[in-house]
Amino acid sequence: MSAVDTERRTSDKDLGSPKIAPYLVDCDLHHLWHQIDDIFPYLPRQYVQEIKDFGPMFPGGMWTNMPNNHGYRIDQDVDHETNFPSFTVTEHMDRYDFDVGILTGGDIYLITATTNLDYAAAICRAYNDWTLDHWVAEDDRFRMVLAIGPNDPIQAVEEIDRLGGHPAVVGVNLPAGGRHPYGNRMYHPIYEAAERHGLAMVTHFGGEGVGANNAPTAAGYPTYYLEMRMARPQIAQAHVASLICEGVFEKYKDLKWVFVEVDTWWIPGLLDHFDADWKALRDYTPWVKQLPSEYFRKHIRVGTQPLEQPAKREDLHRFFDQANAREVLVYASDFPHWDWDEPVATAATFPESIRDEIFGSNARQAFKL
Amino acid sequence: MTRAQGSRDPTGQGRGATSTLSSISVVPGPSSADDSGELVVCEAADLLSGGRIEISGAVHFGVTVFNVDGELYALLNHCPHMGGPLCRGRIRPRVSSDAVGRWDFDREGEVVKCPFHNWEFDICSGQALHDSRLRVRRYPVEIRDGKVVVKLRKDGRKKL
Repeated sequence: MSAVDTERRTSDKDLGSPKIAPYLVDCDLHHLWHQIDDIFPYLPRQYVQEIKDFGPMFPGGMWTNMPNNHGYRIDQDVDHETNFPSFTVTEHMDRYDFDVGILTGGDIYLITATTNLDYAAAICRAYNDWTLDHWVAEDDRFRMVLAIGPNDPIQAVEEIDRLGGHPAVVGVNLPAGGRHPYGNRMYHPIYEAAERHGLAMVTHFGGEGVGANNAPTAAGYPTYYLEMRMARPQIAQAHVASLICEGVFEKYKDLKWVFVEVDTWWIPGLLDHFDADWKALRDYTPWVKQLPSEYFRKHIRVGTQPLEQPAKREDLHRFFDQANAREVLVYASDFPHWDWDEPVATAATFPESIRDEIFGSNARQAFKL
Repeated sequence: MTRAQGSRDPTGQGRGATSTLSSISVVPGPSSADDSGELVVCEAADLLSGGRIEISGAVHFGVTVFNVDGELYALLNHCPHMGGPLCRGRIRPRVSSDAVGRWDFDREGEVVKCPFHNWEFDICSGQALHDSRLRVRRYPVEIRDGKVVVKLRKDGRKKL
């Protein structure tokens, strides 16, 4: 990176800007490793050897994403020597004066699709320990969601019990790609453990259509990355419908669920249809005692990124009303990825009257910050 | 008294194994009420427990008298949702649950599900089961001198 770039960023920072919200939270801050070797000190010897012999053995797909820079946006001044936690503090937490940044992982999502459940559990344990030692220890504004292997709920619960009491742990990560819709009772022990520790469940896009996980759409496998990105809301809607119909929020009345990077435009459409059909079909699932939109309002929050970009600002504001954005949206930057939503520009798209909730208080409530 | 025809069922809900429409008797109502606004519907002995009888023509949309376990209730045959013939719907118990995956049934025969969109209404109160603010209109009904008598309009009003 050139000196000019560095100077420009420094200059931006010095200019400063009014703080976006009195208590500012980023619900989607990716913490990346340089390579999987970073977590070797936390991994059992056998798996270290296997990775050295065969590579990481993470299932992958043909969806390309965007060219990047050690996992960062290409304008970001990083290389293989960069201390990523410290870089993230300077370039993101300090620049915008965040009070909390929730570390949501990055490289880890694909491990949920592996068929070797002991390997997945070991990788998740190592990743969590590495996160605590190298990221959370860097700055007391960092919080983290736990990586777990959801296909082995017994080990997943053990991991939640092992670290769920740590003050920096605020959630459990269940990436959107999986073997079943998330209302399925196979996962319920995970939710019971999360609720017991006061942790939110977090479902970030990722892991769909790879390894042992299901296809990203019911129509089959997308071919291109652009096409794949359009699958995200479908997956989120399927999980939401499942969680509500299977009575997850009747069983776990204090559980909060935060969906991240799955778009937001679908919220009012799904809920209007869901409520209408519930009125007809209520007696087939009588444990769903309230309007589906009520469960959504009480239990589910959705990350703002990637925020819709309609041609007219008033359409966006109308949408915020329809989606009950004041209560259900939480700001998520997706830093340091190419499609992130820069905090100041994003804040400007929201009416001031709902900004404090979306950029802070909703997340404080969901994650008990 | 005439039998309702299957072809009058706009949804097909009345046909087949769960047919309910064929069991509904329909009486043509008068074109105008007497001074009291009352209508003699049928002999009480003809409306057995679990049965219903539909009065067509007396008021727009019709009114249906239900016998629920010996008690009579009369409802406007018009769903407040989208105007479906509510009273021709399936008669059900109230279904509730005390745990995920469990069904409990009570108040057998006291719920009617509109054939248009299956919204549920309490036959006894007219109350929608999914929304405490929503009701279907009820009419006073009684047995007098061995006959079922429904009061279709309030005293002092000329229109039905």
